[in-house]
Amino acid sequence: MTQALHVVFTVGNADYAVPASEVAQMESYEGATPVPGAASYVAGVIQVRGRVVPVVDLRARFGLPPQERTLDTRVVVAERAGRVVGLLVDRAREVVLLSEEQLKPPPPMVAAQSGGFVTATASLGARILMLVDVPKLIGEEQPHGQ
Amino acid sequence: MISRVDLGEFLQAFLGEADEHLTHANAQLLAIDAGLKRGEPVGRQVRELFRALHTIKGLSAMVGVDPIVAIAHRMETVLRAADRTGGRLPNGSVDVLLQGIRAIEQRVRALHAGTPPAAPPQALLDALDALENDAPPIARAQAESLELDPAIAAKLGSLERDAIASGVTQGKRAISARFTPSAALARAGISINSVREKLGAIADIVKVVPIAMTPTASAPAGLAFGLVALTSSTNAAIAAAVGIDAASITVIAEAAASAPVTSEMALLPPEDADDDAGVRRVDMVRVEVVKLDDALERLSALIVSRSRLSIEIARLGSLGTDTRNLLALAREQSRQLRDLRGSILRLRMVPLTEVLDRVPLIVRGLRRSTGKSLRLDIDVGHAELDKAVAERIFPAIIHLVRNAVDHGLESPAERVLAGKSEEGALRIECTAVGNAQLELRITDDGRGIDRVELARRAGAPIPETEATLLALLCRPGLSTRDQASDTSGRGMGMDIVRRVVVEDLGGQLAVRSEIGHGTTFSLRVPLTISIVDAFTFECGAQRFAVPLSTIDEIVELDVATIATGPVRTASSAGTVGVLARRGQAMAVLRLDEVLGLPAAASASGRPKGLVVRLDGDSVAFVVDRMLGQQEIVVRSLADPLVDVAGIAGATDLGDGRPTLIVDLMALSALHLAQHATAHLSIPKERLS
Repeated sequence: MTQALHVVFTVGNADYAVPASEVAQMESYEGATPVPGAASYVAGVIQVRGRVVPVVDLRARFGLPPQERTLDTRVVVAERAGRVVGLLVDRAREVVLLSEEQLKPPPPMVAAQSGGFVTATASLGARILMLVDVPKLIGEEQPHGQ
Repeated sequence: MISRVDLGEFLQAFLGEADEHLTHANAQLLAIDAGLKRGEPVGRQVRELFRALHTIKGLSAMVGVDPIVAIAHRMETVLRAADRTGGRLPNGSVDVLLQGIRAIEQRVRALHAGTPPAAPPQALLDALDALENDAPPIARAQAESLELDPAIAAKLGSLERDAIASGVTQGKRAISARFTPSAALARAGISINSVREKLGAIADIVKVVPIAMTPTASAPAGLAFGLVALTSSTNAAIAAAVGIDAASITVIAEAAASAPVTSEMALLPPEDADDDAGVRRVDMVRVEVVKLDDALERLSALIVSRSRLSIEIARLGSLGTDTRNLLALAREQSRQLRDLRGSILRLRMVPLTEVLDRVPLIVRGLRRSTGKSLRLDIDVGHAELDKAVAERIFPAIIHLVRNAVDHGLESPAERVLAGKSEEGALRIECTAVGNAQLELRITDDGRGIDRVELARRAGAPIPETEATLLALLCRPGLSTRDQASDTSGRGMGMDIVRRVVVEDLGGQLAVRSEIGHGTTFSLRVPLTISIVDAFTFECGAQRFAVPLSTIDEIVELDVATIATGPVRTASSAGTVGVLARRGQAMAVLRLDEVLGLPAAASASGRPKGLVVRLDGDSVAFVVDRMLGQQEIVVRSLADPLVDVAGIAGATDLGDGRPTLIVDLMALSALHLAQHATAHLSIPKERLS
């Protein structure tokens, strides 16, 4: 039985998870420098360990209304294939161990509505975690911003 | 065969060295090719090539790369034979040798990639063996007359030695004569000048060497001259003609069919006998680029913390602390950092000649594939570029060279018809622009760009200015040929050249073309891209930086004097105003509008105009407030999410958050392009 650590975060009223292997670190959020001309869901750039990193606002990416940042607001810094991208979330506090058996395909309507962002679901007690596809979130399916 | 484990330790060093010697070998081979075509002696180059291959062979044997050893060994044999004849190579040698170098390069690349190199192609080995058998008979210089004055021998370079060797193979005698000036001789009109002149009339002077000695009765000046020359005249004839004693003339080498087969170069001391280990003693250290990057990275961190220090000192000062000494210290530290930055950046500079040393090879290939005859001139002096800039710009240069040969230059027949010389000319040159930029120009004397034809193909109006011509050429997907040709049709297009020069490097690209006379592309690029001097300013409540080198001037603006012309095509990127500047109309753009930023809350500040020059036209960008001028570390915004036009990167001004660096030149070009496309409305299918 294979188990893997996952980072759990909240956006709006839902809980999401991404494999911890794709997360470099978490940062508190003190605002980003807006980048004119970038996609509307790009909050801007922040500096993480001397590196300039774009931040994807997951509220905007998931079609939710914007919200004032709070003390809970976090940036989950994802690292994949040489790219480092921050994911702006409402809250991120937990790391959980999920086994493969816990991961179930998402209900087709959920998957369809999410446009492929949600790849699996897992129940954790009474909660449902939705596993999201990081490459898709950071726009890897659109190589040249088409 | 190769065991990767055994190699591991040496491989990295081997690959680095091998690359260097291959580059050298390529350069020599091209020089040989050029020399042979002009009928010049190539003895020196043959010897250099021989050495490079000898070293490659030695290195490869050390790490056990047998296929390279096999190829290098045969090439070495061919070259040794050529060296013995003063550099005479059998016909067709250059091509075979070129293939040999290619084959070695392929195998070195394989090692780079971690795969075992393939066995050498048998056809190549056979061709090299055939060359060896074709080698002309070795001319033998006489080995018994070794009376070369050591004082003279020490002064003879390889060039002179080669000249002697090749003269001897042509049946001449190499002589050494001694002339000792004196007052008596001078009265008789015999001086070193007359001797040189008269000897030059009946012999080819190879070298004149002054020899110092203790003054004696026969040499009152304590000075004599040793003259080395090649001649067909006898010693007596020379003595009589020149006015020196025949006894002072010695033969140092001559062709003699009966001489024993000895090493013909033995009469001259070998230049260096111990190059077997492949060690070249030069005052140089090879450094991996990552180490240089690391040093720069650390310096960058230092510059950022220096900015933070300034902020803290200012804060202390505002609290009433006496910070004069601190400030003085901080200023001194700034100067030191600037010096350190200078030294580190200089470490990263590579000579442009080195960057371009593959161009002749590419042109050679193009000559063959296109059947065009052309002369390549590379004249870039001692210009140097940062390694990172060089790497980015090289593909653009190659593209322009290919384009020039393929599309620019006409076939020899066409050229003759046009009243031009059969041989086309392609020239690469450069000039420094200030101390932070370099302008590279690639010029051909070909047919020039046919604007009418270009416009027809693109379905656009005929470009009347050079700027619109360039814009049309740089349209993605535009091909100037019906069919992509073998050479230019693949790889990058002009749009990519523009992208590299303008967007990646923040430089400028320009074109000048005259029908029937040729085309020049100018690439103006910064010498270095990592740390630059910049202005910082505020606009739309956001802070920005802009590289100093891109700003022509900063002007005070009175917003009330800015007029707005007719607006027929509204742009999302702001309205263009017009302003009188030194009696000229200048376009004015509000940067906050261009960038889509919220307008500044208070209009109380004194807005400034940052003026950039785009293809000779000035454009002013209105910003809310200038903040200052400082050194900034440029971080690229390479991630596709934030890789947007007009933003050249980001920097840390000391507050720990990124400040965007704007590229005003790109923004104005973009603005212009938006309007252009709005006017033209090009049918899509004609662009592909």
